[in-house]
Amino acid sequence: MSFLLPPDHITLYMAGDSTMSIKEVKAYPETGWGMPFKAFFDQTVTVDNKARNGRSTKSFIAEGLWASIADNLKEGDYVIIEFGHNDEVPSKATYTPPAEYTANLVRFITETRAKKANPILLTPVARRKFNAQGVIQGTHDLYSELVRKVAADQQVPLIDLDKESQALVQQYGPDDSKFLYDYVDPGENPNYPQGKADDTHFSELGARKMAEIVLADIRSLKLGLADRIVKPRFMPAATKKP
Amino acid sequence: MIMKKKILKLTQAIGLLALMSFTIAPPQKIKIWMIGDSTMCLYPTRQYPIAGWGMPFANYFDASVSVHNHARGGRSTRTFLSENLWQPVADSLQEGDYVFIQFGHNDEAKEPQYAARYTSVPDYKTNLIKFITETRAKKAVPILVTPVSRRKFDKDGNAEETHVEYTKAVFEVGAQYKVTVIDLDKKSRELYQTLGPKRVQYLAMALDTGEHPNYPFGQKDNTHFNEYGARRMAEIVLNDIKAQHLELADRFVKGMNAPKVNPQVK
Repeated sequence: MSFLLPPDHITLYMAGDSTMSIKEVKAYPETGWGMPFKAFFDQTVTVDNKARNGRSTKSFIAEGLWASIADNLKEGDYVIIEFGHNDEVPSKATYTPPAEYTANLVRFITETRAKKANPILLTPVARRKFNAQGVIQGTHDLYSELVRKVAADQQVPLIDLDKESQALVQQYGPDDSKFLYDYVDPGENPNYPQGKADDTHFSELGARKMAEIVLADIRSLKLGLADRIVKPRFMPAATKKP
Repeated sequence: MIMKKKILKLTQAIGLLALMSFTIAPPQKIKIWMIGDSTMCLYPTRQYPIAGWGMPFANYFDASVSVHNHARGGRSTRTFLSENLWQPVADSLQEGDYVFIQFGHNDEAKEPQYAARYTSVPDYKTNLIKFITETRAKKAVPILVTPVSRRKFDKDGNAEETHVEYTKAVFEVGAQYKVTVIDLDKKSRELYQTLGPKRVQYLAMALDTGEHPNYPFGQKDNTHFNEYGARRMAEIVLNDIKAQHLELADRFVKGMNAPKVNPQVK
C-alpha cells in the first residue's frame, strides 16, 4: 500500500473533540467539521481524524490518543489541534485548568516539531449563544485567549476559529443559525424521534461552513498545505440539467 | 453450587432462545433499489457538497436493509432504459425487495439541447409501467416518487409547481396500477414555502466564489441539493413511508432517544 502513495505524500492528523470528530451513522445528522474537511485535499494527503467526542487535552493524552498521533508522525505531516469545549468546564472530569491546558498545547507543539511535522493551532469553534439583543456571545473567551497566547509564544500558525465562526453565526443570526447546528424537529429524523436542539454540534451545513473557514485560513496563512488542496475537476455547470 | 446456578441459567437462556425463534423470526434481508436522476443519485467526493437525496436516505435503515442507488445524473425514463441501466436492476430483484422510482426532471426537458433525453408524457407513463410490471414480476415492490420540486418562487414569494404534467402522470400510473406514490414534488414544495425564498438557499447547491475548492467559481442552481438539502428531502420520503404504513417503516433505525418498546408487545 505504502509504495502506491505519491512520493510527496503526507498525513494530516486532526486532534480534537466532538465538534471535529467523525460521527457514527446513528448520530447523524450531527456532523463534525473534520468530516467535510477531509474532502478538501488532493490524493497526496491522507486526513486522519483522531478527534473524539468528549475529550479535553487532558483526556486525549491520558487515553493514549495523542500518542497514536505522535508515534506515527513523519516529516512534513501536519497536526490540526482544536480543544477547549471539554477543557473549560470545571464540573467535567475532563476539566483542564488553564495552566495545564497551556502546557498540553505546548506539549503537542513540541512533540510535533520534534518529528519535523507542522502543528496548526485552532481556537475552539463557537457555540450558538445569543444575548437578548441578538448579539453572539463568546463561550470560550478564556481558553481561546490561551490558544492565541501559545500560538504567539511558540510561533505556530493560528486559525482563530472561535472568532471567525462567531462572525459567521452572527451573520446567520439567532434564528437562521439553527440551520448550522444540530436542530431536528420531533418526528423529522429517525435517529431523534423526539427532536434535537443542540447549540454545540453541527448539522451537515454548519460542519461544512466551519471546515470552509479553516480551509480559507490555510490559504491565507500561505501554509504549504494549501498547495495540496484539491484542484477542481468539474467546471461550473450552472446551466446543466439534472 | 455456583456451577449449578450457571448451568441453570444457561438452560433457561437456551429455552428462551428456542421460544423466541418461534415468535420472532429474524427479519428477511431485503434490498432497496433506487432508480432516478441527479436529484437522487450518489456523487463522488470531488463533486461535493452536491448530494442526491438517495445518499442520506441510505443511512436510516437497520441491518436488514441494503440500499443500492442506481440513479444517474441526466437520465430520463427513456435514457435510463436505452442505456441499459434498468435491466441490471430488474435482473437482480428478489422477492420482498423495493424499487424507488423517481424521474421527471429530464423527461420534461423540452429545450432543443435536451432532445436526446426528452420523453413525452405518454412515453413517460409507458416507461413507468414497464418498471412497475417488471418489478412485480419478481415479487418486488415498486414505489413511485413524484419528481422533487425545483426551487422557484413567484414575485409574491409563493413556491411554484415545476413538474405539473409529469407529477400528474405519476399519480395516474400509481392509481391505475395501485402503486404507492410518495408525493415528493408537493412535500418538497411545502418545505420550500415554509422556508421562503431566502432560507431555501440553505438546501441548495449555492456556493460563493472561492468558498469550496471543488467549485472555485462558485455554483448556484435551482435544482440540486447540498448535503443538508439532500437530507431534508430524504426525511420527507422516510416520513411518508411511515405515514403510509409501509412495512419498510419497521426497518428504520431505532432512534437513540426512542422510547423503549417491548418487541413482544408490539
